[in-house]
Amino acid sequence: MANHRRLAIALVLVLVVAWSASFGCIFKSSGKRPVSDLGTSRQGALTIPGADPPTLDPALAQDATSANYIVEIFSGLVTLNRKLEIEGDIAEKWDVSKDGKTYTFHLRSGAKFHDGKEVKAQDFKFSLERAVDPKLESVVADTYLGDIVGARDVLKGEAKQIRGVKVVDDRTLEITIDAPKAYFLAKLTYPTAFVVDEANVKKRNWTDTPNGTGPYKLKQWKKGEQILLERNADYYKGAPKLEKVNFLLSGGSSITMYENGEIDVSGVGLNDIERITDPTNPLNKELITSPSLDVFYIGFNTKRAPFDDPKVRQAFNHAVDKQKIADVVLKGMQTKADGILPPGMPGHNASLKGLGYDPDKARSLIAQSKYKDVANLPPIVLSIEGAGTNPPRTTTAIVEMWKQNLGVDVRIEQVEWATYLNDLKKHRFQMFEVGWIADYPDPQDFLDILFHSGSLDNNSDYSNPEVDSLLETARTEADVDKRLKLYQQAEQLIVNDAPWVPLFFTKSYLLVKPYVEGFVPAPMVIPFFKDVSLRSR
Amino acid sequence: MMLWRRFASNRFALVCMIVIVLGLYVTGIFAPLLSPYVPTAQNLDAVAQGPSIAHWLGTDELGRDLLSRIIWGARTAAIVSIVAVSLSTIIGVVLGALSGYLGGWFDTLIMRVSDILFAFPSLLFVIFIAATVKPSAVRFVEQMEIAWGMRGLARSGIIDYFVVFTALSVIAWPGMARLIRGQVLSVKRMEYVAAAESIGASTYRIIFRHVLPNCLSPVLVAVSMGLGGAVMSESVLSYLGVGIQPPNASWGAMIWENSGEWRLHPHLIFIPGAVVAIVIFCFNFIGDGLNDALNPRNR
Amino acid sequence: MLVFIIRRLLWLPLVLLVVSFITYGLGFYGPGDPVEILLGQRTNPEVVERIRHEKGLDRPFIVQYGDFVWNALQGEFGESYKYRGQAVNELIAEKVWVSSQLGFVALVIAVVLGIPLGLLAAFKHGTWADTAVVGATLIFISVPSFIVAPILLWTLVSSLHLLPSAGWNGIFDLRLVMPALVMGIPPVAVITRQTRAAVLEVVAQDYVRTARSKGLYERVVVLRHILRNALIPVFTLIGLSMGGLVEGAFITETIFGIPGIGRLGFESITSRDYPVIMALTLLVATTYVLASLAVDIGYTFLDPRVRTD
Repeated sequence: MANHRRLAIALVLVLVVAWSASFGCIFKSSGKRPVSDLGTSRQGALTIPGADPPTLDPALAQDATSANYIVEIFSGLVTLNRKLEIEGDIAEKWDVSKDGKTYTFHLRSGAKFHDGKEVKAQDFKFSLERAVDPKLESVVADTYLGDIVGARDVLKGEAKQIRGVKVVDDRTLEITIDAPKAYFLAKLTYPTAFVVDEANVKKRNWTDTPNGTGPYKLKQWKKGEQILLERNADYYKGAPKLEKVNFLLSGGSSITMYENGEIDVSGVGLNDIERITDPTNPLNKELITSPSLDVFYIGFNTKRAPFDDPKVRQAFNHAVDKQKIADVVLKGMQTKADGILPPGMPGHNASLKGLGYDPDKARSLIAQSKYKDVANLPPIVLSIEGAGTNPPRTTTAIVEMWKQNLGVDVRIEQVEWATYLNDLKKHRFQMFEVGWIADYPDPQDFLDILFHSGSLDNNSDYSNPEVDSLLETARTEADVDKRLKLYQQAEQLIVNDAPWVPLFFTKSYLLVKPYVEGFVPAPMVIPFFKDVSLRSR
Repeated sequence: MMLWRRFASNRFALVCMIVIVLGLYVTGIFAPLLSPYVPTAQNLDAVAQGPSIAHWLGTDELGRDLLSRIIWGARTAAIVSIVAVSLSTIIGVVLGALSGYLGGWFDTLIMRVSDILFAFPSLLFVIFIAATVKPSAVRFVEQMEIAWGMRGLARSGIIDYFVVFTALSVIAWPGMARLIRGQVLSVKRMEYVAAAESIGASTYRIIFRHVLPNCLSPVLVAVSMGLGGAVMSESVLSYLGVGIQPPNASWGAMIWENSGEWRLHPHLIFIPGAVVAIVIFCFNFIGDGLNDALNPRNR
Repeated sequence: MLVFIIRRLLWLPLVLLVVSFITYGLGFYGPGDPVEILLGQRTNPEVVERIRHEKGLDRPFIVQYGDFVWNALQGEFGESYKYRGQAVNELIAEKVWVSSQLGFVALVIAVVLGIPLGLLAAFKHGTWADTAVVGATLIFISVPSFIVAPILLWTLVSSLHLLPSAGWNGIFDLRLVMPALVMGIPPVAVITRQTRAAVLEVVAQDYVRTARSKGLYERVVVLRHILRNALIPVFTLIGLSMGGLVEGAFITETIFGIPGIGRLGFESITSRDYPVIMALTLLVATTYVLASLAVDIGYTFLDPRVRTD
């Protein structure tokens, strides 16, 4: 299940950071002692910028911001490690029946809630049934738990208990699913399947004082101000080294706060990147970059005029100088995308032939198209996510390139996020700008989901029988090399048909104080702070 | 013109007047002739440059000429201030005069409506309108264009202006109405009005021929301040991203767009910032000057 | 007097009704489907319809509005769309407290600086001090807050390292200084000018001349006759500025990362969190009506010439 929401948050963060980091300082902070090294209150605590989570209820969480906190406070049967492999969490080990439909989980001894109560199989049964209770109105329950036999009956209000979840004894839980599905365990790593304490969740506003099982306890949540996590000394995988994590929720310019000694980690935005990447700047040594598995693009609705003609789509591709935008507007922070699969993704094709910048070819393609001339094109609207504020610079730059190179006026329309997603699915846009972040490192997550004519997430309404058959063959191909070749073939065909203008593959840029150890950005939401520690200053 | 002579004796106020007339309105009207470049034309080979002979004030992060954008921003500020203030003044003067002169239920109605508008959190309201009404309006206009075979209206940004005008005048007219009403109430008792009534002049004639001209001076002060206020509001709205949208230039939007350039390219934000501040300052100073000229006692 | 207060208080519900009706209508017919906002990306039509029905969002406008009014009368504004499970009342209560503190400090700055400056300018009328004060106040009003804030950040934080750059930690914290200045400075100018004008107006009045000619001490004349009368319009101004709590805070709270209602207001509009928008609008309207009532009542005590009926 690919996650647009995570992308949105990443985008918003980039914007916020870029904007707020903007009030960066004119003089280097070296040599001057920051006034606000907040003394004793900072001891043993990692202080970082954060955002208010929409919810801390594991069963309701559907966004990365919430999940970031939840995976620290709560835990489930299984989890992802740093390499994004599934490993046991509260379940020490598990057996799978021969038909691949029944999972028997053996819970570890010594797994306790924060209040000291031991976690039993009954707690999991309660938590799973609570998550699918229609009264809870969880919108993710169906996605993550719907494979369990009987879960959908509870969701529809036709049953009270999930038939497929059986408590064998205090430390053994049996879950039966409707068909053998290799990805089922991966779904259980998501917060929806986490365990909660029955007595705790019955309280009003219980998420203000959650009784979880994770490596950290919620010490304090002042909305809009601060979230303070304190380590769970009784954590079943060993007490975390880092005593406290202090999230500052109030916003402000994070890079200024970082340089002023108020926080230990900060994102770096466009406005500061030139300064930070300068090797003579002392901050340069504190910079960490890590590639994200994602692609940003402009999609065309291939069934709507004028983009029903591939020549027009190709022309729009050739008219955009992505290299220049990456170098100038994005100041080299992101790399231009010719294809669809990002570097680092299996199957990424370095020798793919993209539709390069060529304004003359673009104009002649328009002349060859069925519209003959730009004057015959209908009005064109590019829809982007937004609440009607100023559109991002990259979008403005691209629209201007179409104007200069093709003589086409494109109007930018902003649509608020929820409606935007809905309209995307319903193919209501003529042209849209959005991104896609990997959920698992497999090309199927990009190509099959986004371009197969039968896929619900095929937002371009793209269909090419040849591509479809390549993708279908790849689904079942056992030979890894052959399978990746199939994907690469499909990718080249798609790029040639131009249902997209692929724009950029991104990287994240973080400043981390030298005394913070083990702060390695992860491409997905996983329990994170137990591996971080602070060297004494 | 006693007023003018008294006003003109204040040299600095006169300078401010000239700055406004030439710098804002003349520049605004002749923006297409004055601006050396197309304000939206990007040049990615020359981004974020400092002042030079080719670009007197330098270029922004997309290589657009800053001077041209300032000039076109003046056009926006000029249009917004004139239209918004005219609208609110006309509505305010008419309703205020009627309300003060007629009294009775009409007076009550107008005053209650203005009470409600005062109670509305105005900036919140304007942002809300911009966020809710505008997208639908743009789509609607576009549908109409398609139906009638026209093009260009929806994407000319005219709806942005419309939203800003409406919002600013809806907020501003009650203040004007109250001012006029107060004036009318005091003028009404004057003898020449009674004299006009006694010879059977019609209500409207009395209001427009006798009462209103005598309220002119405070209106003049209010208009001057109001123009400055409209420039300020427009830049705040555009800064928040709900006013005039790119590609149309607005000083507030320019400041927002470049708010990240403090360290490396401070001119991108200081120049439009200084321009906004100077224009508003001049309007306020003129208002002050007019006020002093009207009430010489306070000088 | 009592009749006056009661009549004005009766006026309040009508104001709120109109204000809420307009806001509710804009939200209802504006873009963005509340259920879609609530559910985020993982919507399927079945769930959408079920939740729409359960929340009563499939009923006609007037019924939903009536429902809203009925709940609002009981002080219940429902749950935030954005922060699921969070009661709007609680969400707003926390932020109002923060913004009130900030607004209060800004107001104190404005009054403490504004009134003396205004008096100075008036009593030194026509001298260079007067010109300087008037000129300075004009500059204060003319520079938008989104310019002042970065200038302060640049000087006080980045260059001089005197203050922390953002955040909120109550009013006895250094973080308060910059936002309070940004919010307090424009009102300083307004109050200074109002005080100056009022004093000049009063000084010329007959009763002051009479008092002077009676041979009263200058101090008595100033305190009893001039100040008392001159400050009435100044109080009006202060009272009415309470209503502007949200507005003044929009930009300031965003730039300085303060968890107040200004930021909440902007956020709730951009994320179309309608229950929060409704509650905030009504809150501001109520504050305004009550503040102007307080001002009017205050008048009658300060100035016996003002009559309430």
